[in-house]
Amino acid sequence: MNNFDFHSPASVADAIKALGAGDDGRYLAGGQSLLPAMKTGLSMPTDLVGLDKIAQLKGICTSAPGAGKPALHIGAMTTHASVAANADVIRLIPALARLADWIGDSAVRARGTLGGSLGLNDPAACYPAGVLGLGASITTDRRTIAADDFFKGLYETALEPGELITEVIFPIPEKAAWMKFKQPASRFSMVGVFVSKGPAGVRVAVTGAGSCAFRARALEAALEKQWSPSACDGVAISPAGLNSDIHASAAYRAHLITVLAKRAVAQTV
Amino acid sequence: MNAETNYGRFGSGHSVQRIEDPTLVTGKGVFVDDVSVPGQLYLCFLRSPYPHARIVSIDTSAAMAMPGVVSVVTGAELTAAGVKPFPNAAGFKRPGGEPHASPPRLCLAEGTARFVGEAVAAIVAKSRDEAYAARDAVMVDYEELPMVVATDAAIEPGAALVWPQATGNVCNEALYGDVAACDAAFAAAAHVVTLDLVNQRLVANPMEPRAVLAVPDAQTGRLTMRMSTQMPSGARASLCAVLPDIAPEKVRVVVGDVGGGFGMKTGLYPEDAVVAWCALKLGQPVKWTADRSDEFLATTHGRDLLSKASLALDAQGKVLGFRVSSHANVGAYATPTGVAIQLLIGPWVTTSIYDIPVIDFRLRAVLTNTAPTGAYRGAGRPEAIYIIERLMDAAARQLGIDQADLRRRNMIRPDQMPFKNLMGQTYDTGAFEKMTTQAVELADWSGFDARLAESKARGKLRGRGIASFLEWTSGNAFEERVTVKVAGDGYIEIFTSTQAMGQGIATCYAQLAVDTFGVSIDKVRIIQGDTDRGVGFGSAGSRSLFTAGSAVEVASKKTVDLATQLAGDALEVAPSDIEYREGSFNIVGTDRSIGLFELAARQPAHHVFVDSTTKVDGPSWPNGCHICEVEVDPETGEVEVSAYASVNDVGRVVNPMIVIGQLDGGAIQGIGQALCEEVVYDRDSGQLITGSLSDYALPRVDMVRSFKTRLDQSVPCKTNPLGVKGVGELGTIGATPAVVNAVVDAVWRHGSPEAALAMQMPLTAEKVWQALVAKR
Repeated sequence: MNNFDFHSPASVADAIKALGAGDDGRYLAGGQSLLPAMKTGLSMPTDLVGLDKIAQLKGICTSAPGAGKPALHIGAMTTHASVAANADVIRLIPALARLADWIGDSAVRARGTLGGSLGLNDPAACYPAGVLGLGASITTDRRTIAADDFFKGLYETALEPGELITEVIFPIPEKAAWMKFKQPASRFSMVGVFVSKGPAGVRVAVTGAGSCAFRARALEAALEKQWSPSACDGVAISPAGLNSDIHASAAYRAHLITVLAKRAVAQTV
Repeated sequence: MNAETNYGRFGSGHSVQRIEDPTLVTGKGVFVDDVSVPGQLYLCFLRSPYPHARIVSIDTSAAMAMPGVVSVVTGAELTAAGVKPFPNAAGFKRPGGEPHASPPRLCLAEGTARFVGEAVAAIVAKSRDEAYAARDAVMVDYEELPMVVATDAAIEPGAALVWPQATGNVCNEALYGDVAACDAAFAAAAHVVTLDLVNQRLVANPMEPRAVLAVPDAQTGRLTMRMSTQMPSGARASLCAVLPDIAPEKVRVVVGDVGGGFGMKTGLYPEDAVVAWCALKLGQPVKWTADRSDEFLATTHGRDLLSKASLALDAQGKVLGFRVSSHANVGAYATPTGVAIQLLIGPWVTTSIYDIPVIDFRLRAVLTNTAPTGAYRGAGRPEAIYIIERLMDAAARQLGIDQADLRRRNMIRPDQMPFKNLMGQTYDTGAFEKMTTQAVELADWSGFDARLAESKARGKLRGRGIASFLEWTSGNAFEERVTVKVAGDGYIEIFTSTQAMGQGIATCYAQLAVDTFGVSIDKVRIIQGDTDRGVGFGSAGSRSLFTAGSAVEVASKKTVDLATQLAGDALEVAPSDIEYREGSFNIVGTDRSIGLFELAARQPAHHVFVDSTTKVDGPSWPNGCHICEVEVDPETGEVEVSAYASVNDVGRVVNPMIVIGQLDGGAIQGIGQALCEEVVYDRDSGQLITGSLSDYALPRVDMVRSFKTRLDQSVPCKTNPLGVKGVGELGTIGATPAVVNAVVDAVWRHGSPEAALAMQMPLTAEKVWQALVAKR
C-alpha cells in the first residue's frame, strides 16, 4: 500500500474541501473495496478523506408526516448492518433490509456503507439493484439524482469529481423482493434481481449481469400487465452484452435473470 | 461425570480435547510470520507475468537505488554462486525407455520463464513495503515464446514445447498390466463402459501461506531456518543439496505452529532456498512471508489428470478387465513428487477394493506452461478412486444393477487377505463389504424413494451417489525415531520429527503416552519441529500416527522398563518384584514405592531418557463407504448436499473426535473438488484466471448440512503395533466421487442420461443446468 495523507473532517463542507486539496483524493466510506484495491496497488490515492466522523451522513429516518409521499431516508454513511437491523427498514421495505443483510460477511456489513457502495458502482454490488429497483433518489452535496440517471457503466456514475452522496431517499413500495444468486467464490451477486411495485412503478433491476445495474424492461412490461410469477414465464432475456466469465456464461446469466425475477415476485404474492 | 479426574479418560479411545487448542484458539500460536529478530530484512519475489518467455535482460539498477533496498538477486547470480537446480523426476522413463526430460528447476528463472508466477528475481529490503516498492522497479526485458497450458492442447501434434527434449511435451511414461490379456477380456465382455474423465487442477490453500525466516549465526557459521513445513528434515536435506557448501549439520530447521499443509508444505520450494541464500550472502536475517497471490501462482498445485477409462464386465456385473489411459499435467517442471503421485501412487490404488483380473494402465506426465504439481490431500488416490468409482456407477446404470450391489459383486473378500493387487501392493486387512453394508444402512439407502418424492414435491430433483474405496497411507517411510525424557521436574517430554499442522497429532501422541505412563495428560509435553532434536521423514501421506504413534508407544514402554530397572536400584530390590502403576513403582506385596518423577530426579542427569527407533511392517489401507444425497434446483442447476453418511474402517481409534474431524474436514475438501474448486489458466494468454479467493471457489462449511460419520474399529491394521490406519486423506478421497455420482444420478433421473455421464468437475450450477436442459 502506498503512503497517503488521511483526513477526518466533521462536516460535509470540510470533506469536500479536503478532497479538493489533494492531488488524487478519495473518500473513504467504509473501505471494503477501496482498501483491498489499495493493498494490491490497484488504487493509489494521495489523500483519503474519512467520512465516518460526519454525523449528518449517518442514520435512517422516515419522512415527516405531511411532507409528501412517505419515504425512507438513509444516510450515505449508514452501514449495511445498520440498514439490515433497522426497524423502519424492516417494517417499510423488508426486501431492502434483506439485501443489506446478504452483502458480504458480518465484517463487511459492519464497515461497508450505502454511499460507499453506490459511489463505487461495482458491477456485482447489491445496493445498485436495490436503489434502481425501488426508484430511489440519490442526494448529494449539490443536487438530487434519480436512480435511473445514476448508474452509467462499469464503475461509472453520474457523480462529478468531488461530489459527495449524502443520503438516499427510498419511496415505500407496495411490494418488493430481492433475490441473489451468489458467485461461488466472492459471494458477490453473480446475478441479483430486485423487483418492486409501487410509487415508482413496476421495476425489475438487475445487478451482476452487466457492466452496471440495469432494468429488465421486458420483465417489467410483463409484470405491469400482471404482477404474478407466471407473468415471467417465457420472458427471454437476451444474453447480448451480458457478462461472461469463468463463473457463468452470458446465456446462463440471462436465464437466471428470469428465474430470479419470477422467484422474487413469488415472494410478494 | 464423577471419577473423571482419573488419568484414564485422557488415554486412547477417548475424545480428549486437543492439547494444541487453548493456544491456537486464543491467538497465541506462534507461526513463522509472528517471529521477528533484530536486524531482519524482508524479501519479496518478482514473478514472471508470461507463461513462457525468454528473459532477455534484467536491469536491477533502478531497484537497487530505491530506499531501503539491500539486494536484488537474479538467477544468474545464484548459478554463478553454485546454487544447483532442484532434482527432477529421473526415476521415471519417457516413452520407449528414453530418459526423463524436463527443464531444470532453478531457484530463480534464468534465461527462460516457463509459467506465470515463476520467480524471476528476489528483492531484499529493510522493510516489506520497501521490498514491494522496489520490485516494481526491477526492469525485465521479456521476449514471449509460444506456450501451452492445457493438457489436451499440449499433446496435440505441433503444440508449443515446454522443453525441446520432451517431444510431444511428454516427460514421463508408465505402463502397467497386460495389454493382450486386457484386450482379450474386453473382447469377451458382455458389457463395456467407457468414460472420459477430467480431474481438475486444485490449489491447496492452507490458511497460513508459506513463510521462511532465515537467520545466520556468524559465531557458529550455522543457519536457522524457521519455516512453515510438514517435513523439516526433508526441507533441510533439500536445502543442503541445492545450496553450495553447506552441510546439514550447519542448518537447523525450526517449525512453530503450522496453519495447514495438506501436502503442499511437504517439499522445499525454490523460494525457500533463495531466502536462505540471501541470508547467508548478506549475513543478516531475512524473512519472506508469501501473500495469497504468491500461493495461487507458485505453490505446487494438486490433481490435473485427463483420463479415458473403461471397464469390461460380464452379464452379471463381474469386472473382467480395466483399462485406463491418462495424461497428467505436471506443469512446467516435472518434480519427483508430482510425477510419482500420478504415475505410481495413483495406480497403486486404481483397482481399489475390487478383485479385478486384468489391467492395462498407460499414464503419461505432460509438461505445460503452468505451475508444477505436487502433493495435495490424497495425492493420486483421489484421482484413481474417482476413475474407478465413476466407472462403477456408469456400469451399474448400463447393467441395470443397484449401485451398491454391483460393487459388492466385485469386492475383495476378507478371506482373501492379505491381498496383493495387480500393482503388487499388499492389503493387510479389509472387510470392504461390511463397510458398504453398514453405510447403506446408515444412509437409509432403501428409503431413498420416499425422500426423492418429498424433494419432488418441493420442486427439487434428488440424486444418490456411493463410493466404496480404500487408500494407501505411509509415504512408504516406515521408520520413526522418538525420544522420551521423564524429567525430575515432573513432566514427560516426547520428541518426534513428525509435524503438527492442525491435525491434532500431538494430542494423539500424548494420549498414547498416557496409556503407558498412567499419568495425567498435562504431564506430557510433545515436542516437534526441530532438526537439532532429531530428523525423520515428517508428516505426509497420513503416516504420522501409525508410524510415530507406534514409536511413541514402543518408546514409552521402553522408558517404563528402564525406569523399572532404576527403581529396583533405588528400592534395592529385583526389578521383577516391582510393579509400575499410575506414576509409581511399587514393590509387590509391600507399601514401599517410589514415584516416577521422584525416581527421575534422583538420576545423575535428573531425568530418565530413552532414544528409540521403531519400524512398522508396511503401509496401512484405510477404507470405507461414503454415500451422498444431493438436491438439485431444476431451474438453476444449483446443487445442495442434503445428506452425507459414511462408515470408515480406520482400524483402532486413538481419539474419535479428531478422527471424525479429519474425515469430515477431508470430505468438505472433497466436496470442494466435486462442486466448486478449479484452477483456471486462460488457454489463449496462459494467465492464471483464478488467482485469488474472489475467483477460486473454496468450499464453505454451509455447503453441507451435516455428516453422519461412523468409525468401524473391528479391523485393526496388522502392520503396526497400535492397529491404527491413516485417516488424514480418507474423507477427501471418498467425498468427491460420492458427491459427483449423486449429481450424475439426479441428472440421469431427470432424463439427461448422456449429459449426466459426460459431466466433469467442478459441477457448478451452470454445468448442471446445461446438463439438465440437454434432456431428450
